[in-house]
Order: sequence, then structure tokens, then C-alpha cells
Amino acid sequence: MSARSGRMVMAALCAAVGIGTTYVGVAGAGPLPPLGGLLSPAVGLWANAVDDLAPTAGGRIAGLDSSVDVRYDSRSVPHIFATTDADAMRALGYVTARDRLFQLEIQSRAGEGTLTELVGDVALPADQETRRLGMPRSAERKWRDIGDSSSSGKLLIAYAEGVNAYRTSLSAAQLPVEYKLLNRTPREWLPVYSLHVLNRMGYTLARSPGELELLEARAMVGDAAARALFADNSPVQEPIQPTDRRAARSAFPVIPAPGAPDTAAVRMVAALRSTHHEPTLMAWRKDADPTVEAARAFASNNWAVAPSRSANGLAMLAGDPHLELTLPSIWYEVHIVVPGSFEIGGVSIPGLPGVPIGYSRAVAWSATNTGADVMDFWRETVDDANAPTAYRLDGTLTTLVDTRIETYRGKSGTVIDVDTVYYTHRGPMQRHGREWLSMRWTVLEAGKELEGYFAAFHATTAPAFLDSMARYYQAPAQNFITADTGGTIMIRSTGRYPVRADSGRGTEIRDGSVRASDWIGDWPVERYPQGRNPAQGYLASANQQPIDPQQDALYLGPDPNFEIWRALQINRLLRADSAVTPDKMRRYHTDPGSVRADMLVPALVTAARGRMAAGDASASLKAAEAILSSWDRQYTRTNSASRLFETAITRTTALLYDEFVSPKTNARVATPTESQLLPLLLDSANGWWDDRRTPDVRERRDDILAAALRTAYDTLVIEYGDPATTPWTWGRVAPAKPNHLLRLAGFAAPEMPIDGGRGTLNPSVGSKRANFGASWRMVVEMDKEPRVRAVYPGGQSGNPASTRYLDRYATWANGQLDSVRTPRRAQDLTAADTRAVLTLTR
Amino acid sequence: MWMNFVTAVLLQFVAQRFLGVWGAAAAGLFTGVIFRRGGAVRAGALSAMLAAAVLLAAAAERGVALTDFAATIGQNFSLPGWAVLVATFVLPALQAGGCAGLVSRLLTKDHVAVR
Repeated sequence: MSARSGRMVMAALCAAVGIGTTYVGVAGAGPLPPLGGLLSPAVGLWANAVDDLAPTAGGRIAGLDSSVDVRYDSRSVPHIFATTDADAMRALGYVTARDRLFQLEIQSRAGEGTLTELVGDVALPADQETRRLGMPRSAERKWRDIGDSSSSGKLLIAYAEGVNAYRTSLSAAQLPVEYKLLNRTPREWLPVYSLHVLNRMGYTLARSPGELELLEARAMVGDAAARALFADNSPVQEPIQPTDRRAARSAFPVIPAPGAPDTAAVRMVAALRSTHHEPTLMAWRKDADPTVEAARAFASNNWAVAPSRSANGLAMLAGDPHLELTLPSIWYEVHIVVPGSFEIGGVSIPGLPGVPIGYSRAVAWSATNTGADVMDFWRETVDDANAPTAYRLDGTLTTLVDTRIETYRGKSGTVIDVDTVYYTHRGPMQRHGREWLSMRWTVLEAGKELEGYFAAFHATTAPAFLDSMARYYQAPAQNFITADTGGTIMIRSTGRYPVRADSGRGTEIRDGSVRASDWIGDWPVERYPQGRNPAQGYLASANQQPIDPQQDALYLGPDPNFEIWRALQINRLLRADSAVTPDKMRRYHTDPGSVRADMLVPALVTAARGRMAAGDASASLKAAEAILSSWDRQYTRTNSASRLFETAITRTTALLYDEFVSPKTNARVATPTESQLLPLLLDSANGWWDDRRTPDVRERRDDILAAALRTAYDTLVIEYGDPATTPWTWGRVAPAKPNHLLRLAGFAAPEMPIDGGRGTLNPSVGSKRANFGASWRMVVEMDKEPRVRAVYPGGQSGNPASTRYLDRYATWANGQLDSVRTPRRAQDLTAADTRAVLTLTR
Repeated sequence: MWMNFVTAVLLQFVAQRFLGVWGAAAAGLFTGVIFRRGGAVRAGALSAMLAAAVLLAAAAERGVALTDFAATIGQNFSLPGWAVLVATFVLPALQAGGCAGLVSRLLTKDHVAVR
């Protein structure tokens, strides 16, 4: 080889190394992210590892009416002092983006169905579901209805101006870490994105396709048994609307044994399941990720105590919405003062201008999910099964109201999939197997939720707040509770509840060929479940059935939409206490007591003892019985029995409802609520207790309960070791662990032992993929002015390298609350309590 | 020789600070010119590593816990923290060394030995 050719070979080698590593550094390669952008000490991730809240800073927002003073207190809560409502929203957009820019984008894209453009193909199933549900079209139509000249429209535009002012001020080095990891830059924030976020909340809280689960159940065990287990009403009534009773009301009907499949349901399920369209049906029914579905615990508590029941004679309010725990939190705490207009504080949802849970100078408010059935399905007859253009309605073919081509793009903008979504006058229509089903869902339809909130923010009494909400608010339906400084407490399950013409129930797939099966109106506000200053001296909601059917047979949803355990527990605590204090309210949030365990553990213990007395010599059963019988049924972090109880209940459910296991998939396709265990436990010989896999033996209740307990014990020994040497301490085996929004392990919170679990007032549950629990806790004492204490898991900053990313986590885990500052003026916040100052100017 | 190296380090520092991900490669090109008579690869790689170290030290001076943050980042890629730190130095070194070597070899003239 000549010197020249040797030199050229070396040059080529150097070029390969230099250009190759630079290319990988800039653009990434295969699974490798763009390492240069990440590792650069100047602009990469290292640049994010600095204190992200400078003591003083300035920002410019072109549209400001006048300058806005923002003071961050020692808890990193921005206190916004503005002179106009619009400026307050601009500042809110700015400070939210400053701490949560990436969260703003990912949440709006989740509601828009464009996650693939941010994170790539992995998000395609989620985006497909979002678009097939009609969510992006809905947001666009809502924005068109709101318009940019309405009061709500102006506030949404102002919020967007604030977000964009911050976004455009960033250098590459200042971009949030997630953008660097994904090699993306933040997109411009448009006002419609707030409506995508709102729709996404509707998806989270008000997606209730229960008729599909009931249909599956009928196809497997017959009509009578399925309808009994998926009943219209909960067997235990402790409703939101107060009654004259001083205890819960129970009515346990006999549950018919599993029978022959309902042939009509079998035909319908077969039609829906045939061909490759099955995944769509499943997507409409449940979360695409089964581990998340298993852990799902969207729930919430709120309660208010009247002056007659509080130790200091003041009204008090508490609220703790239970959602998926993420980092950063779904909530961002703010306080906004516009002299002469309104003053509010509490938590906002990044992307939504406003404070869904919080307080003003006169009123405090919180919300729990109503769980109303606001999603119905119609079986349509179309002109062309492959590419419909019309559907049959009252004997004539009616042209579809819309056909929308949905194009999914990847990170680089290339088209990765295309969908067609059809719309009847009811809503989006999808093909499921051989059937076409259209859907109507209140979440998709025009509402004035933001207008409702802004009207309510000006309210000076608890009833006025709720009246404003009732006038405008439609979805997702919420049990809004309020208390005011005058001592009034009030609750109202607020939202749009459709009136159905025929059965009045939304539990069946309806006949789409006639208009007579359409919704014919909405229930008036007077029919909403509600209560005001009741004789019992308190109000409480915890996702239970809002109204006792003996009071009003108003259909709001079937039993599977509701949960009874926490309602029973909070009512038990409040009834027993006639001198409630703010600190007791705080302790109730993490109270480890469990009505569920109180009602179900004795049945397991009795069954185990019965089996042992009958000669069962299983060492596992004996050990399990010993653990459960000595348990005080408190979900403390130090107890070592609740893990066994949880697993035993899971096993019981699996054995009890084996009739619902599909032979094809070996997965259970329908699961009744746990409250249906109560009537079955009273009926020891009910056919449901029989294990269909043992045709020669007819099992009874105690056989199944004992078997469930024994296998639960054996399973846990394998998973966690011998409890005699390594106790299954709750804090060790079921810790809280909020995940990062992108589920990046390095940005997740460390595991933290906590009190509480499924069915308790702190229903923290989790899987490897998701963790659910109290996403915000607030106690407000309504003195002359509200005294507020609150906390949420995580911190104000969305930057994983920030000291403000997790600074509230330990306080939350220990059930403590921070004192919330409510300065009227900027100067009311002392220098010692001021962490940073931000001045926003034009 | 030493002055050339100091110049290369300064170039790297400025380029990495202001050109971000392109910085090490860009400065490497100039380093190749400076060291066209030999040692360009070593000079490019070393100067890039040194500049990265100085920039990281500056971050530490501002309060960044380098090893903790490296561990946090590494966890997202199932890597130990030290690997992230090493990669922070090695990547610009490869970029700069490669680019410097390329330029130096393109600029080098063939010498014919005359006896």
C-alpha cells in the first residue's frame, strides 16, 4: 500500500468516526437517542441540572395589558398579581409552561390523538382510540362554538399567549429534558389544545361503556344472572344526597346462579367479535394496557362539615381526588389575585386555565367523579358495510353527518397510518366485527365548562358557586362540594345526564334504526342529587351511587360505575365524631380503616376454620388463617396481613367468576363490582360458588374461600418469602411509586411506604406500569377567611433534576399537609417566605 | 506544539459551549488544520475531552450533583451513572478526533524520499 493510499484509508477511517459519531450525536441511530444533544455539557441534559427557579427573573408577553407580579413562595407556589382577568390567564399560562412545558404538550396530544408525532409509533394504539372516539373533532367543534370573541375564548387565547411567550423565550439548552430525550422541540400552543386537555379528562373520568360488559356477561351466564350481578343499583346504599337514616341501607337480593347463555347476546357478541375488528371493541371497553386496567382506581373523596359538627364552630371542607400518580403531578398549584374581579387558589391542570379544586376568599370547593353513564351505543344499519355513506333511520337512508380521514404521523412527519371515522347524528360510528356501532357521549358535545368555572370563581356563597356550575358545566359529571365562610355546606352531582326514551337505562346497545331510541333530553338541575346544610351536619361523596333509588329512581348509571367502600368509611368516621377538627380531617385522608376488610375478612377466616375443623390439614391454610384472624383490619404501612387479604380477594374473584372466563383467551371478560360479593357471601350454596372445572364436585362458599386463601398464601410465599421470617409488611410490598409521564425509570419517584389501600380512604394501588392514589389533598377551614392546608405527591417543577421535582413527596406519603399561603397583595408575602420573583411585562 | 494544543482546547470550549452538539465536530475540523503535520487525532480527542470536563466542572460549580444526576440519567437507559459520565467525555472526543484526523490527512501532502 502506497503512502497516499494509506493516508486515504486513514482519512476515511477518521471520517467514519468523526462524521458517524456526530450523526449519531445529532440524530440518533436505531434505538439510540441523539446522544450528542443529551450528553453535551453545555446544552444537553446536564444543562437542566441547575436550580430552575432563579431568585429574580423577567419575562415578556406581548399582549399583556399591564405588568404582572408573580411571587413564588417557599413551597414554589406562584402567586399571580394581575390587574385584568386576561393578564391573570396569560401569567398562568406562562408560569405553568415555565414548570410544566412538556406536560402541557403530552397531555394535549393525548387528547388530540397525536402522541405519535411526539414519541413515535409506540403511541399509535392510544392515538387510534382517541381519534376513533371522536375526541379531536369534538375539541375542534367546541373551539368553533366558543369562538375567539367570547369571554371563554378570550381567556383561552390569553392562556395560550402566556404559554407561547415562555416557549419562545427558551434556548436549546433550556428545553425540558424530555424534549432533549425525544429530540423534539415544543410546538406552538393553540387555544384548542386546552379543549383537548378537557376532553382527555372526560376520557379519564367519564368513559363508561358498561353495556358491552353486560352484553358479554349475558352471553356467558344468561340474562337473569348477568343482570343481577351487573345490577342497576348498588346493594348497599350510602348515597351522596343525604337521607333521614343514620346508617347505610342494605338490600341483598338472591343472585340467580349462572344459567344458559342468552342466545341473542351470544349472537351479538359473535357478530361484534368476528373478523379483525375485535381490538377496536376492546379498546372502547377498557384501557389498552391490562396492567393499568387492573390497577385502575380513579376515585376521589370529598366531604364538608357544618359548623354544628365542627369543634370550632366553623364549616370545613376536605377533598382528595384519586388519579394516576405521575411525575410531574397532574396538578399545578397556583394562587391568582385580580383585585376587584376574583381571587382563587388551589390546583390547576396544566393546559386548562382555571382552578378545578381550590378556594376563594369566601368559598372552598372540591370534586369527586360522579361515574354517570353518559356514553351509549346504537347498532346501525349502513348502506355499505365496507365504506358506508348512509345509515337507516326511521325507514330511510340518511347520509352520514361527517366522514373524517384521520392521518397519523410519526416523529419525522411521515404518515404511519390512516383511519376513516364515520359520524351519524349521534356521534362517531365504528365497525366492530360484522356490526356498525355509533356512540353518543356527553364529553364530545358542546359544553361551557370553562365559563362555568369562571362564573363560579366570582361566587361569594357555596350555593352560588354550585348554581354557576350547574348552569354551564356538562362533562365529565362531578360531585361538586362547597363550603363558605358563612357556614353553609352544599353538594351537587353536576353534569349533563341524558334522558332515555325507552327503558330509561343506558345498559343496552340501542336500536339505531329509529329516532325513538335517541336521547330525548337532559335531567333538570332539580333532579340532580344534592344536599345543603343537612340535619346530619355533614356531606360526603366517594364515588358511591349518588342517590338512593328509594328516594328517586333517577338513573345515573349502573352499579359497576360506583364504589361503596370509601363512602361507608367516611360516613362511619363522620357520624362518630360531633367535634371535627381540621387535623382530624387531615387524618381521615389517610385513615387506614377499611369497611371492606371488616365485611370480608370474617368470611375468609370462618371458611378457613370450617375447613380445618373438617380435617383440612393444609399448613398454608392454617398459617393464612392465623395471619388474617390476628389482623386489626387496618391498612397501616406496618401491617403484614393486608397483602394476604388483597390476594385472597383477587383469588376469590377469579374462582367465583370463572364462568366469565373466555375459553378462547383464558381471560375474564366481565367482573362485577366487589359489593356483589356481599349477597353471594350470604348464600353459601349459590351456584356461583361452584367451580365449573370440577364437574363431579359441587363446591360451596367456604370451599372456594378457603381455597382462595390457601392459594393466596402460597403465591405470596413464592413472591415475598416465608412470612414467619420475612413479614409481608404493607409498606414494603405495596409502596407508592409515582411514575414519570414517559414511564422513564430514572425519573420515577422512589418507593415510599404509605398507609391505605384498595377500599380505604387512601386507596393507593399500583402495578409496575401505573400507580393510583390521592393526587391532591386539601383541608379548608372556613373562618372569616379560609385557612388552607394541602399537599400533592411530587413537586411544582417538571424538571427531574430540580430540587422542586419531588420536594412534597415525603410530606404526602406521611399524611401531612403544608400550610398554604394566601397573600392578598404581593407585599403580604414576607421576604423569608418568598423563594423567587418573576416580573412579566409587555 | 503546546500553544497549538491550548488553542485547540480553547476552540473546543467555545464551540461546545455555543454550538452544542455540533461544537466538538466543528472545533475538530480546525484542530485538524492546526495539527495537519501530525498528532491531529490525539489533539482533537484530548482537547474535546478537556473542554467537556471544564464545562462539566462549571456545572458542578453551579451546584449540579454530577454523579447523582448521571445515575438518574443512566437509569433511563439501564446504564450505570459512570457510563453516562464516560460517554459525556468520549462522544465529543470521537467527534473531534475523527474530524481532526480527517482534515489533517486531507491537507497532508505526499512526500517523496530523494536519495
